[in-house]
Amino acid sequence: MEQLNPRIRTVWLAVSVVAAVALAYVVGLAPTETAVQPPVPLSVVVFGVVLVVGVVYQYLRYKAWGFEIQDDAVYIEHGVVVRVKKVVPFVRVQHIDSRRGPVERASGLASLVIYTAGSRGADVSVPGLTPERADELRERLRELAIENEESIEDAV
Amino acid sequence: MRETSVSQPADLHPLSIAYRAVSQLGQVGFVVLLSFYGGTDIANGFSFVLLGVAALGVALAAVLVWQFAYYKRFEYEITDDSFDIRSGVVSRRNRQIPLRRVQNVDVTENIVHRLLGIAKVNIETAGGSQSEASLRYVGADVARGIQREVRRRKTELTDEASEVTSEGDEDVVGESLYEISNHELLLLSTFSIDVRLIAFALFAVSFLPSESLPFEALPSRLAVVPLLVLGVAVVFVLWLIGFATNFSRYYGFVLRRVDDTLSYERGLFNRYSGSVPLDKIQTFTLDENVLKRYFNYATLGVETAGYSPTQSRQQGSETAVPLAKRERVLSLADEIDGVDEPEFMLPPKRARRRYAFRYTLLTAAVSAVLYAVSVYITPLRWYLPLAALPLVPFAAHLKWSNRGYYIGDGYAATRNGFWNRTTVILPYYRVQNVIESATVLQRRWGIATVTFDTAGSSGLRNDEARAVDIDADEAERITGEVRDRLQGSLAERRAERRRDGTWLDSVATDSPDASLGTRPDADDAQET
Repeated sequence: MEQLNPRIRTVWLAVSVVAAVALAYVVGLAPTETAVQPPVPLSVVVFGVVLVVGVVYQYLRYKAWGFEIQDDAVYIEHGVVVRVKKVVPFVRVQHIDSRRGPVERASGLASLVIYTAGSRGADVSVPGLTPERADELRERLRELAIENEESIEDAV
Repeated sequence: MRETSVSQPADLHPLSIAYRAVSQLGQVGFVVLLSFYGGTDIANGFSFVLLGVAALGVALAAVLVWQFAYYKRFEYEITDDSFDIRSGVVSRRNRQIPLRRVQNVDVTENIVHRLLGIAKVNIETAGGSQSEASLRYVGADVARGIQREVRRRKTELTDEASEVTSEGDEDVVGESLYEISNHELLLLSTFSIDVRLIAFALFAVSFLPSESLPFEALPSRLAVVPLLVLGVAVVFVLWLIGFATNFSRYYGFVLRRVDDTLSYERGLFNRYSGSVPLDKIQTFTLDENVLKRYFNYATLGVETAGYSPTQSRQQGSETAVPLAKRERVLSLADEIDGVDEPEFMLPPKRARRRYAFRYTLLTAAVSAVLYAVSVYITPLRWYLPLAALPLVPFAAHLKWSNRGYYIGDGYAATRNGFWNRTTVILPYYRVQNVIESATVLQRRWGIATVTFDTAGSSGLRNDEARAVDIDADEAERITGEVRDRLQGSLAERRAERRRDGTWLDSVATDSPDASLGTRPDADDAQET
C-alpha cells in the first residue's frame, strides 16, 4: 500500500490554521458585553480547540490514506470518520487527470483524478502526490486502461 | 399500414396550421390583451375593449399567415439511410439525421391532438440532450407509419452491416410482453398513496395540545375529532390526486419487444410512446411498497445510461411494468435479460439491535425537543412520542428483515426499505466500481456498507445497489467476489459477441456515460 507524500500533512495543517483563525475572528466579532467576563477571550478558546482538532485529524487522515495498483484495479483506502475502500477496475477507467491547483503548486504537490462512467465517477481522486509520481501514475494507468480496453470492448 | 406513404417528401397535417396558430395566439393574445387592459379606467373601458378586439384580430391574421407559411415551407422525407427535414420560413434549414443514429421515434398526442387526429413526432438520437427533430404535427396514423418505417429501415441497415438475414416485416411490430389489465390499472392507481403519509398525518394530529384548537365549545377530549376528520380528508384528497395521475399516466400501458429494444405506449389524455434499447439497461429495479407486498404485486423499472427518451439527462429510469403479480414481474425480467430470482442474505442480527438503539434514541430525542418547547414556548403533550417505544423492536425488525443482498451467477442484487422496498438487480458487467464504507459507529458494530456503482444510478433516488450494514468481513469478501465476477462476466460477454459477430454494433451504441459529457458521436469512427 502506497502512502501519500508527507508534505500533504503540512497543507492540511495550514488549512486548519486558516480555518481556526477565520472561526476565531467570527467569534471575536460577537458582542462581549456579558456580565461575567471569561478569564480567556472566547475567540482564543475557539482557535485552540479548532487547531487541536485539526492537528489530530490530519494525523489520522494521513494514516488512513493509501492506494495501490493491483492486478485488475486501482485500490484506494481513506477516511477517518467514514472509512472508505474503493475498487476501480482498469476496464472502467475513462480518462485520468493529474492536477495541480494553486495550493498544490505552492506546496509542490499534485493530485491524480480517475474518471469512470459510474454515477460517482469524479469522486475517485488521490491527493498529495509529487508531480512526478502523479504523472507517472497517470501514464501507467493510461497504459493499463488501454491494455484492458483492447481485450474487453465494453465501456459501460 | 404502409399506405400512409412516408417515402416521398411529405407535408405536415393541414390541421396543424390551425392548432399551432391557436396555441401561438394563446401566448401572443395574452400579451396584447394585457397591454390594452393595463391602465383601463371605467369611463374609457368600452373603446379600449374595441381596440383590444381589433388588435387581437390583427394578431390572429398575422399568426395564421405565419403558420401557413411555416406549413408550406416544412417538408420531411425518409430516405434509405436518413431522415431529412427542410424547414424555415425566413432562414432555411436542411437537416439530415442518419437513420443509424436514430435511437427513438417518440409519438405524443394530448387530448386535443387526439380529437383532431394529429400527433407530435420527435426523432431522438443518442447524443442529443433534446430531440434532434420535431414534427408538429402530422396525422396520427402517419406518425405510427413514420415510427414503423424508421424502425424497419434501421433494421435493414443494421442487418446489412452485420450480415444477419432479416426475419421479415411482422417482426418489426414486435412481440407484446405485457399489457396492463383494467384490474391492474385500478390497483396501481389505488396503491399510489404513500403509506407513510397516512401514518404521519395521524401521528401529527395526535399530540397537538387541545387548548390551542379552535373548538372551545367542545369538551377537550372530543376536540381531536374534527382534526382527525381534517387529517383523513387531506389524505383522501392526496390519494385522489395520486389515483387520477397514475390512472391517466398508465392507462393502456403496453410493453413490446422489437429486436433489441423495449418499446412502450401509455397514457389516457397524453398518449406517449417511447423505447429503451436493451443494451442501455444498467440495472433493474423492483419496487414493492407495503401494500403491493401484501397483495403480492410489484413494479419493474429499468435504469438506463447513455439514453433516456423522457429526460434531458442521459441517465434515467423507465417503468417497464407498472404493476403485475410478483412472479410475473420476475419472469418478465427473466425474459428480458435472463434475470434469476435473487435469494437474499440478511444483514447480521446485530444490525437489528443497532436499529433498535437508533429508534430508541430518536424517540427520546423527539420527546426531549417537545419537552423543551412545552417548557419554554407552549405546552405540548411531549410525552406522547414515548408511547411509540413499544413499537421500536418491531420497527427495527422490519427495517432489518427488508434489507438484503444476493451474489448470484450472472447478477448481484440488493434490497432496502420497509415502506417502499426497492430491489436493485444488476449484471456484473455493469458494475463500474465497488465502494466499501464504514462510519465510526458502523465500525463499532463490526459492520459495513458496500455500494456497487453503475452508470445508471443517480444516487438521488433509492436506486443504488447498496448492501447496507452487513458483516465487515463479509463486506470484504463480496467486494472481492464482485470484482472477480466483473472480469469474468466481461470476458464472457466479449466471447459471446465475437461468436455472434455483432459485437461491433453493440460497441458502437454502448457509448460512454453522460456524467462525463462525452457525446457518443465520438463513436462514429468505430461504427464505420
